[in-house]
Amino acid sequence: MMGLLEWILDLLLSPWLFVPLIYPGLISAFAVLLFIIWFERKLAAKVQLRYGPLYVLKRLGGAIQLVADLLRYLFAEPIVPDQADRLAFIFGPILLFASSYIAAIAIPISYDFYAFRSEISLLVVLGLNTLAPAFNLVIGWGSNNKFGLIGGLREGFLITADEIPMFVSALAMAVLYGTMDLVRMVELQSEWLWGIALNPLAAVTFFVLMLLSTSRFPFEIVEAESEIVMGPFTEYSGILYGLTMGASYVKLYVLSLLFAILFLGGWEPLPPLEFPGSWLILPGAVLFLKALVIMCLSVFMRAVYPRYRIDQALRLAWHYLFPASILSVFLSLLVLSGWSI
Amino acid sequence: MSEEEHVLELLIGPQHPASGHMRLVAKVDGDVVVSLRPDIGYVHRTVEKLAETKNYIQIIPLIERPPLADTANHNLGYVLALERLLGIEAPPRAQWLRTLLAEMTRIHSHFYGLGIHGIMLGSSTAFMWAFWDREIMIELAQRLTGARLTYSYMIPGGVRRDLPPGFEDEMDKALRYLERRIPDYHKIFFDNPVTRARLEGVGVLRREDAIRLGIVGPNLRASGVPYDVRKVDPYCAYPELDFNVVTREEGDSLARMMVRVGEIRESINMIRQILKKMPDGPILEERYLKMIPPKWKEWMAQHRRIKLPAALISLRPPKGEAVARVEAARGEAVYYIVSDGSPKPYRFRVVSPSIRNVVLFEHLIRNCRVADIPAIYGSLDYFPPEADR
Repeated sequence: MMGLLEWILDLLLSPWLFVPLIYPGLISAFAVLLFIIWFERKLAAKVQLRYGPLYVLKRLGGAIQLVADLLRYLFAEPIVPDQADRLAFIFGPILLFASSYIAAIAIPISYDFYAFRSEISLLVVLGLNTLAPAFNLVIGWGSNNKFGLIGGLREGFLITADEIPMFVSALAMAVLYGTMDLVRMVELQSEWLWGIALNPLAAVTFFVLMLLSTSRFPFEIVEAESEIVMGPFTEYSGILYGLTMGASYVKLYVLSLLFAILFLGGWEPLPPLEFPGSWLILPGAVLFLKALVIMCLSVFMRAVYPRYRIDQALRLAWHYLFPASILSVFLSLLVLSGWSI
Repeated sequence: MSEEEHVLELLIGPQHPASGHMRLVAKVDGDVVVSLRPDIGYVHRTVEKLAETKNYIQIIPLIERPPLADTANHNLGYVLALERLLGIEAPPRAQWLRTLLAEMTRIHSHFYGLGIHGIMLGSSTAFMWAFWDREIMIELAQRLTGARLTYSYMIPGGVRRDLPPGFEDEMDKALRYLERRIPDYHKIFFDNPVTRARLEGVGVLRREDAIRLGIVGPNLRASGVPYDVRKVDPYCAYPELDFNVVTREEGDSLARMMVRVGEIRESINMIRQILKKMPDGPILEERYLKMIPPKWKEWMAQHRRIKLPAALISLRPPKGEAVARVEAARGEAVYYIVSDGSPKPYRFRVVSPSIRNVVLFEHLIRNCRVADIPAIYGSLDYFPPEADR
């Protein structure tokens, strides 16, 4: 009996199951989803002189509002329109959500705990992360709705405009560290300085592109409610809608983890504490907190900015962020040459 | 490709988050709106025809319904027309009280418009703030009239209530608060780089076009035409008030928004002047005041309000016709009454500012982006029920 329990625990704690399933994978992604949407609404409410979510668990300020919403989504009927492409309509959101979080598997959570360590784990995260927007296009097309179609096309325009500069500004850090291995990057940052101090230009560019690619304000262009209702997700209801809504937050979560590793020193510095399991919990918690700060900052933009028009966002991405990301590569080279002198 | 192949017809509304009670039929080529036709009439409530079946006094609550948010100004327009028909004029204090409520309504109506414009651009903060700050004027109007929006405050020959005790101090506090708030709006919304990018140079209405199309209100003044009924054809206490007609030269969406902000400031100044200069005296015309029994008069003096005399309830204006116009928050409103000597009007006509501005949808939303539709719509402060009546 004991043997079985230990075996299950071992299995769960084995990196190749723990990482995709528990942290930073599916379960923590869901937990973050529940927290960050509540936090976004609460924060915006604070700025806007109102309460925000309150009545579901009043003592904690409506903290489990999103659990209630999720339950409602689960039991609501997901209506599939008659004229929609059923296969694309049903599998689109599922694949969108899955591909939004799948990049988390390549994210290490300490020096010796990762699903796999690769020379190019940065590219794996970025590459897998680019998958999700394609499903927005599929959803927009498959739901056979004009607003959906326009929303899908908007996403199509934005994919290229945000992913390319984002790759370049992430690769600027790879140039700086001389490696694309995320574990090694954290190691180097603990020896030198945090990436944000070494190359602030890349950090700012990456952050703005994060907002752009996860459809946060002021770039909430794909779903723009007052223009195209809900963009690609106009026809959705029930849990399928819940998935589409959660997908961009999960993508934000993965990118925030990546941001924390690239620019904020990952799980360093570790607090000098010793307790059972601290080898796993401490670095995980530090990394998580850093990512959470980035996410909170991203969702706070809702209270500050209206949304850009798509042509303005594209102009911003191609005319300013793309050159800025290329400049950040040169900045990395400059820092490197300064270092070697 | 032929036009049908690459032009998409987009039906925006009436079931759309930002359409209001109307449908916008947009022809979209890529992201460019080729043409847009507003399809109005979804909330047509036959106000003009209904009025022919009602007593004159019953029409007051009726005409307050369509232009919601901007109720007092329309109430005033109707009552002025009716008074002209009856050949009476309200006593001075009632005139000043009417002006007071009209300007309070203008403030909260403009906040309403600014808030809706904010959410159409995606700024939920501007929306929530504007709807909260609008509440302050509504609360004060409630103390004055007893209702939040549909005041029915102005009656032929006067107003229903006098100022409640302590009103001046409360109003002073409220005005100082609003003046403190406007710079906050500038920081988060009006001067926000994203707002500027969305509104500057978008939906430009040239001066000649504005005059040619017969545009009224802030939309006209934003194109550099200083036309304001309060100055051109003054009524109530406006001749004695010192105020400026706010104009802008640009004629774009931002100018239309900023004219409203300027008018809020002007209204704040006007309310200060009104409370300072308001004369004492009765609030109902002498002819009707005489009909009230002494017992009621005591009650009226004690409660500072009017008991409607029976003569007002079954008004029978002489045969004839009368027209009156006022500067409502959204523009010039015209009321026209034809009487055949019976207790009900023979014909009743309302020309609301929104119906005169609806032409702008077709005129301005052309060769712009899909995202500009709500940006321009919001800047017009167009209210479908007011247009449909």
